[in-house]
Amino acid sequence: MSRIALLAALIYLIVLAGLATLNGAMVALALPLVLYLLAGLWRGPEELRLTAERTISAERIAPGETVMVEIKVINHGNSLEQVLLHDPLPAFLKTIEGASSRLVSIPASESISWSYTVRGRRGSHYFDEIQVIAEDRLGLIVKRAALPTRGQLLILPPVSRIRHIAIQPRETRVYSGVIPAHQGGTGIEFFGLREYHAGDSPHHINWRVSARQGEVLFSNEYEQERVADVGIVLDGRRRVNDFSGGRSIFEDSVLAAVAVASSLLAEGNRVGLFIYGKRNKWTSPGYGKYQRERIMQDLALAETGETHNFKTLIVPRRLFPPNSQIILISPLGGGEMELLSKLHARGYQLLVISPDPVSFEARGLGENPSVKLAARIARLQREVLLRDLRHRGVQVVNWDVSKPFEQAVRASLSRPAAFLHAIQRGRGVGRK
Amino acid sequence: MTGLALVSSIIISIGSLAWGYAGMGLVVIPRWMIAFGALWLISPWRGWRWVSPVALFLSLLFAIIGLWLSFPIGWMFSGAIFALFAWDMTELRSKMHFLAAREDAKGMERRHLARVSLLALGGLLVASMFILWWRQWTSEWGNFLLGVTLLGLTQIIAWFRK
Repeated sequence: MSRIALLAALIYLIVLAGLATLNGAMVALALPLVLYLLAGLWRGPEELRLTAERTISAERIAPGETVMVEIKVINHGNSLEQVLLHDPLPAFLKTIEGASSRLVSIPASESISWSYTVRGRRGSHYFDEIQVIAEDRLGLIVKRAALPTRGQLLILPPVSRIRHIAIQPRETRVYSGVIPAHQGGTGIEFFGLREYHAGDSPHHINWRVSARQGEVLFSNEYEQERVADVGIVLDGRRRVNDFSGGRSIFEDSVLAAVAVASSLLAEGNRVGLFIYGKRNKWTSPGYGKYQRERIMQDLALAETGETHNFKTLIVPRRLFPPNSQIILISPLGGGEMELLSKLHARGYQLLVISPDPVSFEARGLGENPSVKLAARIARLQREVLLRDLRHRGVQVVNWDVSKPFEQAVRASLSRPAAFLHAIQRGRGVGRK
Repeated sequence: MTGLALVSSIIISIGSLAWGYAGMGLVVIPRWMIAFGALWLISPWRGWRWVSPVALFLSLLFAIIGLWLSFPIGWMFSGAIFALFAWDMTELRSKMHFLAAREDAKGMERRHLARVSLLALGGLLVASMFILWWRQWTSEWGNFLLGVTLLGLTQIIAWFRK
């Protein structure tokens, strides 16, 4: 109930009671309230004619950096006695200097400026309005307005540099790159032997084999290196990412996604992204810096959410072509096996990067025997799960998030897994 | 400043009503009034925003009932006027949270307090006129008016000295 409505109702009640009881003093009791009401109504706020301008010191920052927001509100109308100017901020931004709200008086045709400094974690925010609440002297008449402004702040996730991620998709694209294509041609790695063709470089003739075979010459063949289609699936399900005490391993998953996407795009691959979280978000595959920017912006907005089970997930062939590489970034433990089996059956080469939720949660629970025992059991369960994945031909990176991501990648992905290399080569030769 | 005015107005409002009811030989109701006054006193610091309008309504209701039962006019008026004052101060106090330190918070507060104090004074004058009209003037009411005037004067002098 608004203040003016409450006051009017009370005046009405007192006057009615006074008239009903024919009590003059009771009617007179309404006088102080009427005086108060009239004082408020006298010179209350008229039509709000305000405009606002906003300046932001930086539009793209890293988490922890500060940004200064300057606001200027100009009053084109009559003098305003009490105006509350409020710049709404999202929860991920924290004001560290100044305030995003001000209660001020603005004389006619004058302006007021103020600034405040914010800092925040990963996210994106459009500063599209400033809320205005104008009141009379006693706060009885309230007028509200939203002043449109422009401005966007993007806090991008931090990027950790990874030199190379060794992936081995079953198919590659036609452009040259650094992914082994399982086809003979020009390259660096030895691939096989074939009969000498006219035009072959004499440097490529394998003299030893040719001498052994007699009259026929043989040339060395090298493995072609091309770019590949890579689809990154970021698991943002709350049930596997969020833990007790408001702690979440999702930030580490985002960090891994940024690092992997940046590295693969830098090597010329065609990379797409799917975020399975609060909002399911597809970033269609693309190349280069523009694609990196799109992925970074989408990852800046990624949040965990109550999404359905992975079983319902459909990977569109248009976005992630069959026989390409899919990288799932997930803490695991939430029924991913069915999805991974389905993808594997469709010919995708799978890589799972799994931030270790057991170590993460155990660190947050402190040191005591029951936690240690629980962590040991959970770790064993996880080991069984990871081993099962490896047996199904899935490349797995188990990442303890207390260590840098680069370290985990260097240990596991700087060169292709030996068994994959063998399998792929076998298939490539077989096809020939 | 607002906090002091708020506490004073709640005490005066509840005190006036309780004193007026107790003077007519009622014992239980004034006790309940004081208990509710204690709740009202802690509510702004607890963030119970609903208490203030409820307290205003109840104070006015008790003032109406008191006037109907021919209890002393002055105490009933005083109870109602200072309940209105306290309701206003609660709102002002919550608004003050939005004021940054560098802003003219003191000036804004003083101007508001001065306006509302003038209104309260007007209300007390109306009450005094009715008391005189019905020949109910007592030394208690005179002392009360003197006390309230002194409180107001002290406040004004304190502002000027700052």
